[in-house]
Amino acid sequence: MSQEIGREIKVRIKRFSREKGSWWQEYPVKVDKYTQMTEVLKRIKEEQDPTLAYRASCHMSVCGSCGMKINGAPKLACRTIALDEVSRTGSNTIEVEPMDGYEVLKDLVVDLDDFYERMYKVTPRLKPSQEVLEGKAQHRLTPEDQSRLWKFAQCIWCGLCVSACPAVKTDEQFLGPAAHAKGYRFLSDPRDTISNERAKVLIDSAWRCTYCYMCYEVCPRDIEPVEAIKLTRTFTDKFGPTGEASKLGERHSKAVEESIAESGMLQGGKVYLKTYGLVNSLISMMELMKDGKATKLIMEKQKKVKGLDELKKLLGERQ
Amino acid sequence: MEKLKYDLVVVGGGLSGLMTAHEVANAGYRVAVISKVFPTRSHSACAEGGIAAYMEGNSDPSDSPDFMVYDTVKGGDYLVDQDAAEVLSYKSGEIVKLLESWGALFNRQPDGRVALRYFGGQTYPRTRFVGDKTGMALLHTTYERVSGLNADFYSEWFTLDLLVSDRRVSGVVAMDMKSMNPVTFVSKAVVLATGGNGMLYQHTTNSYINTGDGYAMALRAGAALKDPEFVQFHPTALYPSDILISEAARGEGGILRNNKGERFMTKYAPNKLDLAPRDVVSRAILTEVAQGRGFEGGYVHLDLTHLGEKYIKERLSLAVEAGKAFAGVDPVKEPLPVRPAQHYYMGGIDVNITGANPDLPGLFSAGEAACVSVHGANRLGSNSLLETLVFGRETGQAIVKFLKEANEPSAPEGAEKALDEAYSYTKRESGVHFGEIMKDLRKTMWDDVGVFRDEERLKRAVSKITDLRKNAVGMYVTDRSTTYNTEFFNALELRNMLDQALVIASTALNRTESRGAHYRLDYPKRDDKQWLKHTLAYLRGNTVEIGYKPVKITRWMPEERVY
Repeated sequence: MSQEIGREIKVRIKRFSREKGSWWQEYPVKVDKYTQMTEVLKRIKEEQDPTLAYRASCHMSVCGSCGMKINGAPKLACRTIALDEVSRTGSNTIEVEPMDGYEVLKDLVVDLDDFYERMYKVTPRLKPSQEVLEGKAQHRLTPEDQSRLWKFAQCIWCGLCVSACPAVKTDEQFLGPAAHAKGYRFLSDPRDTISNERAKVLIDSAWRCTYCYMCYEVCPRDIEPVEAIKLTRTFTDKFGPTGEASKLGERHSKAVEESIAESGMLQGGKVYLKTYGLVNSLISMMELMKDGKATKLIMEKQKKVKGLDELKKLLGERQ
Repeated sequence: MEKLKYDLVVVGGGLSGLMTAHEVANAGYRVAVISKVFPTRSHSACAEGGIAAYMEGNSDPSDSPDFMVYDTVKGGDYLVDQDAAEVLSYKSGEIVKLLESWGALFNRQPDGRVALRYFGGQTYPRTRFVGDKTGMALLHTTYERVSGLNADFYSEWFTLDLLVSDRRVSGVVAMDMKSMNPVTFVSKAVVLATGGNGMLYQHTTNSYINTGDGYAMALRAGAALKDPEFVQFHPTALYPSDILISEAARGEGGILRNNKGERFMTKYAPNKLDLAPRDVVSRAILTEVAQGRGFEGGYVHLDLTHLGEKYIKERLSLAVEAGKAFAGVDPVKEPLPVRPAQHYYMGGIDVNITGANPDLPGLFSAGEAACVSVHGANRLGSNSLLETLVFGRETGQAIVKFLKEANEPSAPEGAEKALDEAYSYTKRESGVHFGEIMKDLRKTMWDDVGVFRDEERLKRAVSKITDLRKNAVGMYVTDRSTTYNTEFFNALELRNMLDQALVIASTALNRTESRGAHYRLDYPKRDDKQWLKHTLAYLRGNTVEIGYKPVKITRWMPEERVY
């Protein structure tokens, strides 16, 4: 392995200061095939422009400091190799901006207080039994539980998922992906003693996710927060719905199940009616008629699929 | 200037600071934790391989806490205070149990108990781990726990200096990085838990934030650094990014090979081989490279390929991730390129086994910032996480006792002066930028105060650092922004780095022997007659004043250190 000879790239950074407002600034930087974007920023700050502000600490993707937008995508700068971006985009210029969704304080530094508040809402700490805390008893944990929980416990609070999440921007009651990963990690920890309280905080919010998978895309630790959200929804049965979104979600799930049991098909009209109730469905129907899209729903044939008995048997086994 | 009052101010939000805060807040005292980063971004997160612990009923049947003390003492080349090593070892099991009870997800054995593995310098395996992200896991668990207590966190606040009145500590002056608003924190006690100083070196596995601010604050307040010449170089930093490849890689069976494919450690440590202590392995690698048996660029190979994909991915996932992402190498298929880099600072603020500094009543320190002398001349792998938690807790408990007796400090002095000094950098219209001096300093430390040292290099370093310090007095901060002005803080960090660099180079020049990580080409042997003693160093203006302190030996007499 030999080190590739350095090459010069351009880095365009979206700058901001309260005194001067916002502007773009371009810097030439020499890099090789190993140069991380944190190193690029460090070189700019130390060699060209000391006024550039950004956060970075571990440069090995465990501290979560360096979240920012690189060529439009939310990423950790340390996990991004400069020349990989150049070959990905085919442009010798890399654009760097602060993360979306947070107030910009200076250049690439954003205010993460909103993110932290979301995390604290889910009581991000284990509540073990008093016996264990007093040292009178010890936990055991199977290797399987350990690795299942560790997947969601690896969140580094970088804020990228919340920055990329469209649901948090429109729904104040949605906790956001990171808080859900953290919440689920404790909700499903067999050593925890307050699952009832956790469920109250988590379940309704979990039904507010739109399953767009942006958090899954951007998470630098591959935590897949949306998976934690899906798994949290499965607790609705046990703890009951705790608000509007989870009631609706629960009705929708049941309607889908009944539709399949009855016909082996997803009967959109029926599912809609059962989920939203008569009044809301009529309102929706009127809107659809206005748009000329109602015909398909009305014409929906209530045909049954072949082998429905087999399907019913399978559904029966599941219950 | 605004004033805030607390019983205790903890500077640093890593594992040791959090653990101290936990003990003191739990006892009902008012605690402030000031950290220049949000706590989970602290360097504790970077510890990979594990935490050593002897656990009754869950250790090798032949192991005992005394073997652990012996390993630690021998690993530290007998510069370890043995009473401190006994505390470390005998309390290791309970600290792992405590963290487990707080929810830490330690890897498990099939029966549900905490798993263990070998680390360098251990007679029996006793390292407990969470994959190879043990520090990250423990830091998050501890932060989660402590953030639920009644302690005030000042995250992204930069501490400028300690405040002293009537020859005792009376608080700190710190600044909110967001608003650049300075505040005097008045307190009966201060803990410096500010971590290490890897940024002093051109090549380091440390985080960018590791500028050793606490060492410099202690020096300026008149406290001593103990054993400042002892700097650990980790043998396996990934080439060229210097990202740490955990010792766990060798603990799990990884083998170092030179460019001829030879397992060269057979020559340097015939018994312990690749798992000899870090100083031994670092020198071996650099010797191979110097004698032409390294690869171009100056590295050797760390071969994991024989361990199998499943095992590697399960236990060394970070090595896989780092290899692929930062060196373009998949360690499942080919060997990783590695070379030594600065990794840990054994020296630190002089404290006893309760974390108290003898020079300044009310000053405490814990973790890498402190020198309790558990690591001596060379730290064993997986003893640093252990130290942060064990001595974080010991220090916290000592502070609770201290606070029961302590009076209110008289009005702290020096806050305005500390602030004026800092502001002086922003009042100039020209001068040298922090980046220029920093580059010179880091190169000087790497070239002349590194793995191999001698009189000529060390003298050159002392004179160079003295010049750089003079130069830095005229440092110029161009950014006048009053929000998150990182250039201003970088300048303060550089000032801190220069203060401690002078002390490190001077004490390294002074110690005319080789011991652990301090290796003098001109004095290659350990000299117990002259040098079985701790260095104590004070900084008085531009002069480093050196004194000594005996090493505490309880049961283990010095013997030759062979592996």
